[in-house]
Amino acid sequence: MISQPHRAPQGGLVDRSQTLRFRFDGRDYAGHPGDTLASALLANGVRLVGRSFKYHRPRGFLSAGPEEPNGIVELRTGARREPNTRATTAELFDGLEARSQNRWPSLAFDLLAVNGLAGPLFSAGFYYKTFMWPAAFWEKLYEPLIRRAAGLGRAAGAPDPDHYEKAFAFCDVLVIGAGPAGLAAALAAGRAGARVIVCEQDFALGGRLLSDRREIAGRPAGEWLRDAVAELESLPNVTITRRTTVYGAFDGGTFGAVERVADHLPVPPPHQPRQRAWRIVAKRSVLAAGSIERPVVFAGNDTPGVMLAGSVRTYVNRFAALPGREAVVFATVSEAWNTARDLAAAGARVAALVDPRPEPDPALAALAREIGAALHVDSVVSAASGGRALSTVTVRDAQGREQAVSCDLLAVSNGWNPTLHLTSHQNNKPAWNPAIDAFVPDKLPPGMSVAGAAAGRFALAEILAEGSQLGGEAASACGFVSPAPQDLDADPETPSSGPLWRVVGGKGKAFVDFQNDVTDADIELSAREGYRSVEHLKRYTTLGMATDQGKTSNLPGLALMAEQTGRSIPETGTTIFRPPFTPVAIGALAGHHRGKDFRPLRLSPTHAWSREQGAVFIESGLWMRAQYYPRAGEADWLQTVNREVLAVRGGVGICDVSTLGKIDVQGADAAEFLERVYINHWKSLPVGKARYGVMLREDGFVMDDGTTSRLGESHYLLTTTTANAGAVMQHLEFCHEVLWPELDLRLVSVSEQWAQMAVAGPRSRELLRGVVDAGHDISNEAMPYLAARAVTVGGGVPARLFRISFSGELAYEIAVPADYGHALATALTEAGRPLGVTPYGLEAMAVMRIEKGHAAGGELNGQTTARDLGLSRMMSTKKDYVGRVMAGREALVAPERPILVGLKPVDAGQRLRAGAHFVEVGALATMANDLGHMTSVAFSPNLGCWIGLGLLADGQKRIGGRVRAVDPVRNGDVEVEVCSPVFLDPEGTRLHG
Amino acid sequence: MVETASVGWTRRSAWADVAKAGRFGAQGTTGVVVELLYGLGIATLIVADGGGPALAAALRDRIGIEPPLTPLIRRSGGRALAWAGPDRWMLVADRRDDLDPVCEGLHALAAVSNQSDGWASLQIGGPDVRRALAKGVMLDLHPSAFPDGAVALTAVSHINVVIWREGDAFTLLAPRSMAGSIWSWLSASTAEFGCEVRG
Repeated sequence: MISQPHRAPQGGLVDRSQTLRFRFDGRDYAGHPGDTLASALLANGVRLVGRSFKYHRPRGFLSAGPEEPNGIVELRTGARREPNTRATTAELFDGLEARSQNRWPSLAFDLLAVNGLAGPLFSAGFYYKTFMWPAAFWEKLYEPLIRRAAGLGRAAGAPDPDHYEKAFAFCDVLVIGAGPAGLAAALAAGRAGARVIVCEQDFALGGRLLSDRREIAGRPAGEWLRDAVAELESLPNVTITRRTTVYGAFDGGTFGAVERVADHLPVPPPHQPRQRAWRIVAKRSVLAAGSIERPVVFAGNDTPGVMLAGSVRTYVNRFAALPGREAVVFATVSEAWNTARDLAAAGARVAALVDPRPEPDPALAALAREIGAALHVDSVVSAASGGRALSTVTVRDAQGREQAVSCDLLAVSNGWNPTLHLTSHQNNKPAWNPAIDAFVPDKLPPGMSVAGAAAGRFALAEILAEGSQLGGEAASACGFVSPAPQDLDADPETPSSGPLWRVVGGKGKAFVDFQNDVTDADIELSAREGYRSVEHLKRYTTLGMATDQGKTSNLPGLALMAEQTGRSIPETGTTIFRPPFTPVAIGALAGHHRGKDFRPLRLSPTHAWSREQGAVFIESGLWMRAQYYPRAGEADWLQTVNREVLAVRGGVGICDVSTLGKIDVQGADAAEFLERVYINHWKSLPVGKARYGVMLREDGFVMDDGTTSRLGESHYLLTTTTANAGAVMQHLEFCHEVLWPELDLRLVSVSEQWAQMAVAGPRSRELLRGVVDAGHDISNEAMPYLAARAVTVGGGVPARLFRISFSGELAYEIAVPADYGHALATALTEAGRPLGVTPYGLEAMAVMRIEKGHAAGGELNGQTTARDLGLSRMMSTKKDYVGRVMAGREALVAPERPILVGLKPVDAGQRLRAGAHFVEVGALATMANDLGHMTSVAFSPNLGCWIGLGLLADGQKRIGGRVRAVDPVRNGDVEVEVCSPVFLDPEGTRLHG
Repeated sequence: MVETASVGWTRRSAWADVAKAGRFGAQGTTGVVVELLYGLGIATLIVADGGGPALAAALRDRIGIEPPLTPLIRRSGGRALAWAGPDRWMLVADRRDDLDPVCEGLHALAAVSNQSDGWASLQIGGPDVRRALAKGVMLDLHPSAFPDGAVALTAVSHINVVIWREGDAFTLLAPRSMAGSIWSWLSASTAEFGCEVRG
């Protein structure tokens, strides 16, 4: 059994029946369930837990909560290692491994602590002033050096093995914080019958009731707490989520929260996420987030052993861990004297009570006598020292006489700041309340009310009453009838006195922002150099910009600046907060959507068939599409693709085209609608025929192309490219609903309903004859080029047959309901076996369309007009259509504008590259000489060389001439011959075969 | 001339290769029961200009359902009408073959598009169903906000879905091509409760 020398033998909320073993910086320790890493370390007498960011000063815990600036550690190891975790909120578990940060080579002996000796060098603005020149040094030298010296924890550097998830919750009343105010609010709203969600960042409910020895209604507060929690848990309309931080308040009553589902376990249990990011939508919210205690700025106030008084009570009362054996209490508020009482009760010696007030409080004198502590009234602690552990504080009286007091713990309190962060997330500024010398919530997000300490009310009886009242009001606002608010007595409290922001004149650095190492001298420097606005102060000194976001430092910093500039605190500025309240792991925000779940993946209805055929797939937008179908013995993809192309052109091939967008256009005005969205004519298209169409955006550039078939008198099927399916549907809906609502027209996407295969090659009809039911005549006469008809396959399965071609061969596309997609592909494969049918993929399809000069992705790039693509003859002059006027703009019809041409290397052995730019043969490869670029390339097995399509200035005139295709990125410089973009069968005889 | 192929023209469910009957997730408890719906007949009906009253009358006559004008689903026996937008419904039949008799001759009153193969459909129930769905459905599914018969067109896991509630069970329709992705989300979201899948 490892002893815990600073653990009290009884008391507190730790379960001594179980021992949890953990490691810190390689040493073994023990703690108990109910501990945080911080409380367990303190129970083991470990007080040096980190080194500071800039000066590498030794640091111990300042607090016991999420505001902690010093005690940030790396938790866990390997892929689960997480840096910058607050040990004060990390729940202890068996086997926990933690490591201090920002020290080298070890925590006790840190070589970089010389930065502290070189103090003046590192004062505010140091980086800005020092690393200004020469500018080129910044990226290569200064920044890497600074980062190495100043970094905090190390990221794991490996993929996080855990699962995270997102979830959505809705309620009438969201209660943020389960201290006395929050519990009272939740009880009132819950009893009224409202749907209530209570979020508590801690793993235990109760807030300060866990830390302070208080009484409610004549009983120990713990008993009231137990009853309140039991009642809430019994209400079916109340949900309590522990370990859940509400980190942001957003528009419309929406809150972001992160639930640390399994952070308190070595690894998440099976099927459990590590963390869950909640989006909570609440009709009303009650903020009961409590308050954060304020330190005093004095020399050596960062020495390990200097701790906030309220946190000392938390360690003593809640965790039964004594942060020190010989204590001094230095406080400007009466309530902090309870710290001395509790320390003494736990067996510590309280050496001195230091009270800056000139008049001694009679109760305090009595307490001092009772616990045998020296009482120093009208005095301050002017310095703390001891290096790695506090050993002495200097007490200075009003006359300036100083006295050293030995101690290993200094409990400090300078009053409390309401935790009002969420109230200002929608840009509401808090207001200064001189009665408590603190900012309090002012304008609130809609639907929010603030109860208890978060609103600046610190007396327990008031907190309970206000919580109960606001909880009831929130429920009433949601239409529930609330019982009368409950009034509960609490033990009496002494009102607090005014703050003391800093004690000057001590020897050593006095810290304002512990985590970013900002001292009082830095703030003085900032004031001297004119950075006096709070926004400048922050950026100049980095005050409040660390991971703790200045929870303990913003107000002291502001107070010091006010003092420097002779203004009041509210005149100097206000602090405002943005989400998140505490850091949120990116993984929690991503949830399930990482890796292959980053976005949906779409599989075609023939996917399994393609897989059976050995396809190599490629991501194409959201789709996985078959790229090519390698066979044994093929050396590379090019060999495979060449085989596929030759097989199609020499026989027959089949290819999945299910991914094309398909839109049903129905209604009496369907033809009129097509006339208006396409550049070409549609009213002449008879039933049973398909036509190629091009549509423009309003700005005159080509949006998409595809075939549209007239299936019935007033029923058309419009197809889009795979990439533009969604955008075209949106465009058409916009056109119908906004531009021409008077058209009798209905649009619906049927893309998912149909599986579609292209069947291409001179023997395609022969193959289809084996699949289409015998009753359907598909001869050239019955089914000529561009015919589109309903047929059946497989003995009655409805199908659509289109005689259209992308490859330039005799070709068809055949569609069946998606459930039959696999059967169709299999039937084509089986029926085609005697014909040597060859499945082909995207690559072969691309080769064939380039051989035919058909525009596709590389050419339909959003910057080309129909004219650029050689389609100007399609542009009707007899009707209006979307984009017509803008397509006629001068620059878009200028004769020198690049136009689609074909390109072949002069030396047939040379490879072409898409993206290469064209220049004249003798010209320099400069932008000034740029003539356009290569949009698509392919190796044509039919021509035996690489071919390309490109957009070339004066392209029509250059046919037969030569230019260079220059590709500086890949050191390519190839002389190419300009030719017609139709490389193969320009007469189109194959098409009609 | 090639012989007609001798392959079976069998249908293949959107869930083939994606999900199958069985159990997964937490042991000893069944918080969520998922039924892979296969064979539903689904058609989109969009009212033709001026065809509204006649379409409503025809549907009342044929299936005894008044087309809902708000996001609701109404059922009569094996057929239901789910609101799918202004002047637009999904006609859902438990059996695909029941679709055609209803749609016969409606074409003058509405655009009718068969979508039976385009959706991957699930029915999800069990004591933890709302907790599981809350991990992706961005809507309040509490009975006070999403009561029996409520319909929503929404997005789950970046996927457009249709969801409706009948009794304590939810029906979820996702685009067929994304069946794998929606299942990946659903299985991750239901595992902690213990999930039984019925095929």
